Amino acid sequence: MNAKRKLGFGALADAEAPGAAARAACGELASLPLPAPVRDVAAALRDLRELGVCVIADALAPVPLARARDAMYRAAEDDRTRGRAQHGFALDVDERNRRVWNLLNRDPIFCDLAEHPLAIELVRATLGWPALLSNISGNITGPGAAAGVLHADQIFVPEPWCAAPQGMNVAWCIDDFTRENGATEVVVGSHRWSRLPTEADAHVRTVPAEAPAGSAIAFESRIWHRTGANTTRDRTRAAVFPFYTTPIYRTQENWFLSLSPGVVNAASDTLLTLLAYKSEGFGLVYGRSPR
Amino acid sequence: MRSTPDGELARALEELRKSGVAVIEGVLSTREARDARAALVAAARESERRGAATFMPELDPNDANVRVFNLLDLHAIFRDVIVHPVALALVRGLLGEHFAISNFTANIARPGSRSMSIHSDQALVAPEPWLAPWSMNVIWCLDDVTAENGGTLYLPGSQRFTQRAALPSDPLAQMRPFTAPCGSIVAMDGRVWHTSGANVTRDAERALLFGYYSVDFLRPQTNFNVNLSDATKAQLSPELFTLLGLGPSGNTRVAGEVLGERPRPPEARA
Repeated sequence: MNAKRKLGFGALADAEAPGAAARAACGELASLPLPAPVRDVAAALRDLRELGVCVIADALAPVPLARARDAMYRAAEDDRTRGRAQHGFALDVDERNRRVWNLLNRDPIFCDLAEHPLAIELVRATLGWPALLSNISGNITGPGAAAGVLHADQIFVPEPWCAAPQGMNVAWCIDDFTRENGATEVVVGSHRWSRLPTEADAHVRTVPAEAPAGSAIAFESRIWHRTGANTTRDRTRAAVFPFYTTPIYRTQENWFLSLSPGVVNAASDTLLTLLAYKSEGFGLVYGRSPR
Repeated sequence: MRSTPDGELARALEELRKSGVAVIEGVLSTREARDARAALVAAARESERRGAATFMPELDPNDANVRVFNLLDLHAIFRDVIVHPVALALVRGLLGEHFAISNFTANIARPGSRSMSIHSDQALVAPEPWLAPWSMNVIWCLDDVTAENGGTLYLPGSQRFTQRAALPSDPLAQMRPFTAPCGSIVAMDGRVWHTSGANVTRDAERALLFGYYSVDFLRPQTNFNVNLSDATKAQLSPELFTLLGLGPSGNTRVAGEVLGERPRPPEARA
């Protein structure tokens, strides 16, 4: 996979051949069925632990959902009219999906999603606290877009992986997720294999994470997944993907470079923690935390 | 600063892989070491003036261990030292091409300073098992370092411990101090278990600079985006700018693009 090759962990070449044992133990690789939507955190955490994936119904109320939807499509349209890059993401295979970056700068609703109490509760239980927001981006699949590249989000952690997930995604369905419009395809249970998929795994059986708009789909960072193919003629499918990690990892986005000052000034303590503005020990700036 | 012959580098890397620690002598001339030491004393004063304590109770048992943080913001000499070709050759040799500068701090052990607790830098943050080096120190000796004046105690070969359970019951008994003349650098694998030595002399100070580097998917110990002043940032070479994580490139090199912009190299902003 391109993204993996780019990482080039030359220094780790003398570690054991990663995942060989896990691969042998997997037998026929296929997804378990998608768990039924749940409505309480305890059930969500059980699914996350056992299946690596959970679906939470009605996680976002209609008013914030409508606001997020407006903001997402407006941001995508702004990018298009201003000639900003929307395509070329390494895990997309064609130019039909639109990626929307720097969501926190676009509308406060995306800050609300990043620190949504439900997401924070799942993150705290899965990764511990403090955790970091590594990245938050939008993905709008377009008609005719092919499926993306199968990957796990802790792509940057050298194998063999330790026994716990190092990150998690709490995806927000801004539109309905359907089999036809590019619902994220997941390999439920693949966290137990504890390795990255290789090109040989490209045809593993996945399931589309179908869920109505306003649902949250959380999956831990060892879960194999990809953007689904959008086989519709005229439907788009928008979603917000906040990715969180334990605090030892460098974030995918350099918030200190990219965040608008106004966003930082307005951020809650929870959001500032997620963005690594709260520090201690070695991270202090002449004895004080940056915020 | 002198260059180091390839053969000497190769020998140091071999020693680093074997015992976890390697010394290269004479990387700084006597005069360069003296200048760096004077800069360190000035930096300690300036850092205190800006509000940072030089005593860290969570690290050291008493205030005879003087800690100075954020060296890169305090004196230009440290911005040269951190990218010294010999240091970077050792880092590339152990960590590979994709590394970042994680921190650059100093520790002056004054008479009466005592050991901190035993640790490995990598074990402090990274989950077990530790199968590869994810970080390393390049330590600059600004005084002669001896067993008596606080030479770092380390457990030779402990970079092979993949988990905490591999530690012997009394690691201190098997530890030994590294000794090196002023002007040397000491490279240490981030997995090596170590502690600062106690300074039991009556009057000898022992100043060390700790250049700390890690693989670039790890969060640096210090956040240079907020620790460096704009004036300092404007003076950085493009290489240093990137190694300090000031650009948009995150840990995967597949995301983290800054909206509609390419990274601005420092010379374009000066």
